[in-house]
Amino acid sequence: MKLLEYQGKKLFADSGIAVPAGETADTPGQAARIAGEIGPEAVLKAQVPVGGRGKAGGIKIVSGSAVTAEAASILGMQIKDHRVEKLLVEEKLSAEQEIYLGLIVDTDTGSIVVLFSPKGGVDIEEVAEKEPDQVFRLIVDPFIIPPRYRLRRFIRQGGYRGKLLEELTSVAEKLLKLALKSDLLVAEINPLMVLADGRVLAGDSKVEIDDNALFRQQFEKRFWEEQDPLEQEAREIGVTYVKLDGSIGVIASGAGLAMTTMDLLKEAGHEPANFLETGGGITEELLYKAFRLVCKNEKVNSVIINLYGGVNPIEKGARGVVRALSEMDNPPVVVAKALGNKQEECWDVFREGGVSVVTAVETEAAVRELLKRIS
Amino acid sequence: MMGILLNRETKAVVQGITGRIGSIQASWMLQYGTGIVAGVTPGKGGAEVHGLPVYDDVYETVEKHDANASVIFVPAAFIKDAVLEAIDAGLKLIVAISEHVPVHDVLKMKRAAENNAVWLLGPNTPGIITPGVGKLGIMPGNMFKEGSIGIISRSGTLSYEVAGLINEAGFGESTLAGVGGDPVVGTRMVRLLKEFESDPDTEAVVIVGEIGGNSEEEAAEFIEEMSKPVVAYIAGRTAPSGRRMGHAGAIISKGGGAGTVDSKERALREAGALLAEKPGDVAGLLKRALK
Repeated sequence: MKLLEYQGKKLFADSGIAVPAGETADTPGQAARIAGEIGPEAVLKAQVPVGGRGKAGGIKIVSGSAVTAEAASILGMQIKDHRVEKLLVEEKLSAEQEIYLGLIVDTDTGSIVVLFSPKGGVDIEEVAEKEPDQVFRLIVDPFIIPPRYRLRRFIRQGGYRGKLLEELTSVAEKLLKLALKSDLLVAEINPLMVLADGRVLAGDSKVEIDDNALFRQQFEKRFWEEQDPLEQEAREIGVTYVKLDGSIGVIASGAGLAMTTMDLLKEAGHEPANFLETGGGITEELLYKAFRLVCKNEKVNSVIINLYGGVNPIEKGARGVVRALSEMDNPPVVVAKALGNKQEECWDVFREGGVSVVTAVETEAAVRELLKRIS
Repeated sequence: MMGILLNRETKAVVQGITGRIGSIQASWMLQYGTGIVAGVTPGKGGAEVHGLPVYDDVYETVEKHDANASVIFVPAAFIKDAVLEAIDAGLKLIVAISEHVPVHDVLKMKRAAENNAVWLLGPNTPGIITPGVGKLGIMPGNMFKEGSIGIISRSGTLSYEVAGLINEAGFGESTLAGVGGDPVVGTRMVRLLKEFESDPDTEAVVIVGEIGGNSEEEAAEFIEEMSKPVVAYIAGRTAPSGRRMGHAGAIISKGGGAGTVDSKERALREAGALLAEKPGDVAGLLKRALK
């Protein structure tokens, strides 16, 4: 789960990493009130979970009476598929230096990697490409948190010394501890601002929490409400859902099977409306909810179901789909391929509910059947 | 037939055998003929499930039964400790079935397995099956057949489909090993490729890959040296990219789109593997390679 900037900054602040003074606003009026309290100048920042906000006009420096109008122009703005519904109103600070500090779970090596560059700011990707010697990496053993002296030596590579080196080392240590404690997959501060008076503050945040670890994290509830409603619903049901542009809904047990189904649809010239992976443990209730979720996307006019059953009889899943279908005024065309425990009973349930059943092993056969039905 | 990792010398324990899923799956693995010697559930020592003795910890199964492998059915929150215990007890093949395991836990499991030369399959894997010998996992036994094709898969159900299509074409499997579908897993594909290359019962290997990560690209480096043919199918050509990583991810994966289907297929093809555009093409390519 990706956090919005202000949510990430809350985690930073709770961990003792300094952030600019500020508050969130949902209306231009609120923004004006907060800006007035902050001082003569303030920064308005659109809260959307994507990069490139500045270039899209989602970040503005404002002063005096202009705040209300500027806030009104950003709220409601569309930035890369995300409607701006919240602003972060912050004090305006001038950084003497912009540093990059990030931490990521590197899935290929299976380690935690801390990244640091004295050349932070919006062009960090370009720096990484053109001046790779300006990006420093520290690989962390998951069993051993690096002691402070190791972190100090790591940060010193950026050419820092004395008090600033100590400050930066402290921020790196806090960020690493936060990531381990809070199950973060990504924790990035860019820019990490160094002010003229020597203070070091997180100018932005990019934080992603491991969905699989939400059960042991305390902060989830206060952030959940801000997530995309369909993806939030999927999380509550216990399935993985990604919305796409097409009109054919996809439900599959297993990510590989779901992607193969999408690939075959696309190869045949059709666009999937979503990716939905049920995981193991298919029940009637799970499939009932998953099917309804897929059909909440108004573009969906047909659905392809591709399942393998395990411990739970696959026929239960079919009952869930058929129940959801029977409650719909405009039911979509549905084709199902389902194999495994109680497959014959499953096929009967589907057929009685008006679903075309494909009994072949090949997903391709189900795709062909669906295309025949909708053409 | 022998296959890799799971063979007639395997003496496996089922961790979490008294749970609903653990108990049902244990009975199916026993029915399949798998060498299972005991179950483990802390607090249930002395019980019996399907005729198997249940112990409170893994250590006792090693003391009493010379256990050397484990298949684990415990909730995601407890899997890390279950795996670390099995490693500490000296088991050498560990299959972690659970899905939704926190990544930071997987990092620890993987590191401990590497440090102790343990085969850790998963998490989020269907497990491993050597048809005719045994299975440690949840795959339906009747969807596999004895034969000479080794399968390495990141996906559970998709590998059932591929195996089914291979069987329809008259082949069978020496072993199917699921590495697991999570972003971080215990075993890299390349290690399994090396096992299949030196397994006398395997004539060819099928890789069922997916987008993300670089394990297929890494596997390609070894395929160049292999004497046995490799057929690969990679799922996810149409999946949307870049849904997750921030700058930190972009920095790490710089160097030209590693992780995409194109990158994987290019690496595999250049290494001499045969690429299937869809699951239905795998069997035909195997026929061509083994002619």
